Amino acid sequence: MTALDSGVHGFDPATFVVIKNSLYAAAEEMKIVLAKTAYSPILKVAGDYSCGIFDATGQMVAQGPDLPIHLGSMPDAVKAVAMAFDTFEDGDVFIHNDPYFGGSHLPDVNVVTPAFHGGKLIGFAGIRAHWPDVGSATPGSYGAVTEIYGEGLRLPPIKLYAKGVLNRDVDAIIFANVRTPEERRGDLGAQIAANRRATQRLSALADKYGTDTLVDAMAEVMNYSERMMRTLLARLPDGESSFEDFCDGDGIIEEGDTEDQPFTIRMTVKKVGDSLAVDFTGTDGAVSGPMNAPLSVTASGVFTALKTIVDPDGLAPPNSGCWRTIKVTAPKGCVLNAEFPSPVVYANHEISHRVCDMTFGAVATFWPDNVMTCSQGTSAVITFGGKDPRNGQRYVSYETIKGGFGARPVKDGINAVASGISNTMNTPIEVLELSFPVRVDEYALTPDSGGAGTYRGGLAAHRTWTVLGHKARASSCLERTKSPPFGLRGGLSGMAARIWTEDAAGTLHGAPGKGGFDVPDGGKIHLQVPGSGGYGDPKGRDPAKLREDLLDGYVTGEAAREIYGVTDVEKLVKG
Amino acid sequence: MTWRIGVDIGGTFTDVAVVNEADGSIGVTKVSSTPADFGRGVIEALEQAISRYGIKPDAVTLLAHATTVVTNAILQQKGARVGLIATRGFRDILELRRSARADLYDLFQDPPSVLVPRRYRMEVTERIGADGKVVIPLDEAEIDGLIADLKAAEVEAVAVSLLFSFLNDDHERRLGERLRAALPGIPVFLSSEVLPEIREFERTSTTAVCAYVAPILESYLARLKGAVEGMGLPAPYVMGSGGGVFEIEESLRMPAMAAESGPAAGVIAAALAGQQTGRPNLISFDMGGTTAKASLIRDGKVETTPEYEVGGEGSASRWLHGTGHPIRVPVVDLAEVSAGGGSIAWVDPAGSLRVGPQSAGATPGPVCYGQGGTEPAVTDANLLLGRLDATSLLGGELPIDYGRAETAIKEKVADPLGISVEQAAASVIQVVNNAMAEALRIVSVERGHDAREFSLICFGGAGPLHAVALAEELEINEVVVPPIPGAFSALGLVGSDIRRDYGRTFFAVLDEADPAALEAVYRDLEVEARRMLARTGIDEADWVLERTADLRYIRQAYELNVTAPARIDTAALSMLANGYHDKHELTYGHANRAERVQIVTLRLSAAARLPGLTLAQKISARAGSGSEKARRLVWFADTGRIDTAVHERDRMAPGDTLRGPAIIESLDSTIVVPPAWTARMDERGFILLTRAAQAATTKGDAS
Repeated sequence: MTALDSGVHGFDPATFVVIKNSLYAAAEEMKIVLAKTAYSPILKVAGDYSCGIFDATGQMVAQGPDLPIHLGSMPDAVKAVAMAFDTFEDGDVFIHNDPYFGGSHLPDVNVVTPAFHGGKLIGFAGIRAHWPDVGSATPGSYGAVTEIYGEGLRLPPIKLYAKGVLNRDVDAIIFANVRTPEERRGDLGAQIAANRRATQRLSALADKYGTDTLVDAMAEVMNYSERMMRTLLARLPDGESSFEDFCDGDGIIEEGDTEDQPFTIRMTVKKVGDSLAVDFTGTDGAVSGPMNAPLSVTASGVFTALKTIVDPDGLAPPNSGCWRTIKVTAPKGCVLNAEFPSPVVYANHEISHRVCDMTFGAVATFWPDNVMTCSQGTSAVITFGGKDPRNGQRYVSYETIKGGFGARPVKDGINAVASGISNTMNTPIEVLELSFPVRVDEYALTPDSGGAGTYRGGLAAHRTWTVLGHKARASSCLERTKSPPFGLRGGLSGMAARIWTEDAAGTLHGAPGKGGFDVPDGGKIHLQVPGSGGYGDPKGRDPAKLREDLLDGYVTGEAAREIYGVTDVEKLVKG
Repeated sequence: MTWRIGVDIGGTFTDVAVVNEADGSIGVTKVSSTPADFGRGVIEALEQAISRYGIKPDAVTLLAHATTVVTNAILQQKGARVGLIATRGFRDILELRRSARADLYDLFQDPPSVLVPRRYRMEVTERIGADGKVVIPLDEAEIDGLIADLKAAEVEAVAVSLLFSFLNDDHERRLGERLRAALPGIPVFLSSEVLPEIREFERTSTTAVCAYVAPILESYLARLKGAVEGMGLPAPYVMGSGGGVFEIEESLRMPAMAAESGPAAGVIAAALAGQQTGRPNLISFDMGGTTAKASLIRDGKVETTPEYEVGGEGSASRWLHGTGHPIRVPVVDLAEVSAGGGSIAWVDPAGSLRVGPQSAGATPGPVCYGQGGTEPAVTDANLLLGRLDATSLLGGELPIDYGRAETAIKEKVADPLGISVEQAAASVIQVVNNAMAEALRIVSVERGHDAREFSLICFGGAGPLHAVALAEELEINEVVVPPIPGAFSALGLVGSDIRRDYGRTFFAVLDEADPAALEAVYRDLEVEARRMLARTGIDEADWVLERTADLRYIRQAYELNVTAPARIDTAALSMLANGYHDKHELTYGHANRAERVQIVTLRLSAAARLPGLTLAQKISARAGSGSEKARRLVWFADTGRIDTAVHERDRMAPGDTLRGPAIIESLDSTIVVPPAWTARMDERGFILLTRAAQAATTKGDAS
């Protein structure tokens, strides 16, 4: 038995809770400042960022209620700064985005600010925020390239402000290399202001409780999360299981091929007592295109699933302590443990989605009551860029479209909502069309897209855009076009993803699931994202629920007959 | 003698507050709420109040009402069957929402209910573009088919929400005319009338909420109106979530405005109390059985926000988590936390103390009520620390089981943590106080206000027990405890103005906007507002029209509301821009004065002022007879358990000053006065608590 076995250490019960809650409140306060003052739609309305409070070594003490995808990888971003510099001063601000130095992919720009009290470093505030563009040949920086050099501006940990004074040289380099620099400046300003809020609050807490007490409490908050995860894990049965799935491809058509080739991921999960190990031995090697994941990105996906499985009531506050009891390994150089200079931009969300869903699939054999079926499994990114004919200005638009949230052992999946590692919002159509020269022609649920099952998978949405008055350069990043989201325990797969274009004459053309393509004036893009898998045999579905599905058009009469085995659909509907 | 009456329906009790217009004296009646038919409880409470205070019905000048009918219909999914008509290709917008889930890691979460099931969502061929021009004309030929479908579906209300109708309402208007003509007796809500503002989901949701609750609100108000008029009382006004009252007819035009009316009333009451005690800067703190709410009053003004979800979980920071249905109408800006007298204390599997979010509520209630509660609540902790009477509450009506509360705290909190019962109870109070202090922090410090410049006014049954501890946490030097804190919210109903808020989206960058065009929009809104004001019968001299604008930097997504001058010219535009920079700096700690500022929505608040009121507690005949009634050991954070005098509020006379430590008890609440604090009753029965150190230098009250 270790000192971690029970109870809070070194604090009276109330003081500990009060400091813990204040740290999480500070992380939420950062979110408000960032979201409400940022400029680009992906931050201000879609919410693609995470805010956190970190200790002096870069461990995450408190994550805001933001994105699960950053849970496991954010600490590396702050550790990279903590390791790259020997000394810190009040007023310093650091910036970086290099996936090979603690980043996730280049568009995710990390801003890290040290917090001081009485001249002593207490910890850091850090924000990872997705900039809609960080340079490269493709607007949105989502091109299918073969080296990280092609993915955009790469910033190792550097000091942007020294003691409150801006380094104008660095600033000039950054904004010379990104599209729509005015918008980026607004985003960076919001990140810096939000960090300042947190460092002020940390300093106030130190003033109130004493610096040493605060620093000790930060350590204890992480110990506490570790203790909670261990306690909850120990209550679940031991088990070991493997799972295999394949990805559509990496966006690169290799010499001699006519299409993008799939690659395979294999995982083994082993749980003993209060700890758990996930290993990816047997997974395919690095790919040419940007589907290579740094190990911390891979780990983030696994952590998201495990937090949901082990702690569905949210008892363990999300921080670095949660993951001490979980070990994630992958052979060096495989597609899940990228080595420089492999390109990585798609993998950040596509691989973490994938391993998150696979973790549910793997543990389903020994924890069948604690899992969900495969969710949409892709961020379904679509970007547009070009020159807005209304004002002659360059623009970059970045959207993600939502599919199904997995079906559970006791209930259906959820229609068209962010799942797994993602929790970004859609951009309102009216905001999108006022901001960019496109028109949305349809945004609707797709009947029968939820995998059939005793508990039906969540339906997916589809969206159609028309490009107005100019030629746009679009790019997509989509998975599960060939590998539809899996069901569990006899439930069927959800609908696979699909993307295609339509020219002004109405002729349809295929479009790549990953990579850039041109859309002419008046051309349309159609995007169908995946539904989630079903849970249990479709024949076991409660007829009353199926009737509701038919009335609402979630399931068609044809599917009711052919998949759910209803002999007289009309009779069922009439009731 | 003329009177004003306010009726506030809560989850447990329906409160009636009466105010004598001549001397400001107040009275309160409480009856149990009657959820099956809320109107019954209202009538019962009114009858009791009228007979108790000897009120002649024809001497009542204002009857105002805060109702939970709207919120209840949504929470219990008992609203009307609504047909929704959307632009072709977009009928699922109401269900697709903003696509984020409410909880990141909850495996078994459910999405919010969908107010209009897909089978009743229809589409019409039409499209307006982002420039407000018609892309696809409205296909009039489809309308008959839609009407037939709505009839076949037997819908009770209709909502119409078409894309970009806030820029061009022509299609909605034409469709609405046909629907209204063909569906007599069925209310039809157009998004361009309800909320002519950008963002299709939020606008559709607001419109759908209106349609969903309209029939139920209409029949409730019609019955109520009939019943009160039968008693000889005037027709009731309805309290709006933005903090004003309006006529029944007006509320049925915009039912979403009646959603959050009870909490709004509390803040209005606080503002009124501030006005009469000369305290324009107040933080209001309302603590009941399950939630605590904080709000900020600055220069006598109550802040409102359009960011609200009805039927969802409250959020202290106003960050909407997608648990309910957005309604973008002005709502009094409250920070709400799940912390109240009923909040349950427990020890989690990793050995840490937690308080809430589960609450023992009204039933079974805290363990000490002896009504079946087994989980220790905040009230039980207060009891064990000597802060509540150990034998009975509510003037003897509620017997208290001390032993059972002690056992529960021992077994569920003290033993698992390895600490004494007293330490356990004290820890529970510390944790719940911290959660509530966070709500106070959010409305003050986080928005750039120095909390030390404010007084804290507390109410709700449990507010006065905790208020001083919260004041100390935020370094606030003065706490105001109004008369009858337990039913104080209902007093806000009689102190409200008759008010309605109007808004219209107006996209323009300030430095290139045409002042005349802005002026024209404000004038349009004023024409509509003046029509409403004329109906009140209140003299035009008492009308107040206030212009504001929602502004943001050109690329931002969230606006801040800035006061606009009464006449818009070029100078007014730069005043607006500066107002925005200043408010941005205050709220978020940074501003970009070189950045261009964009107008998003122009707003007009129209109020008809009722004659001023001065609230006063009727001084009891027993006042001045010596208020100390007992002594007991009471626990305080700085001293532990010490001998403390217990006073009866009813026997205190104006000018009486008590030095802490002291407990002041009244029928509906208990005030804790810690050792370093002093309590003084003013001429109107308000109790003012000040830090002893400052007490000597505090100037006489303005009351």
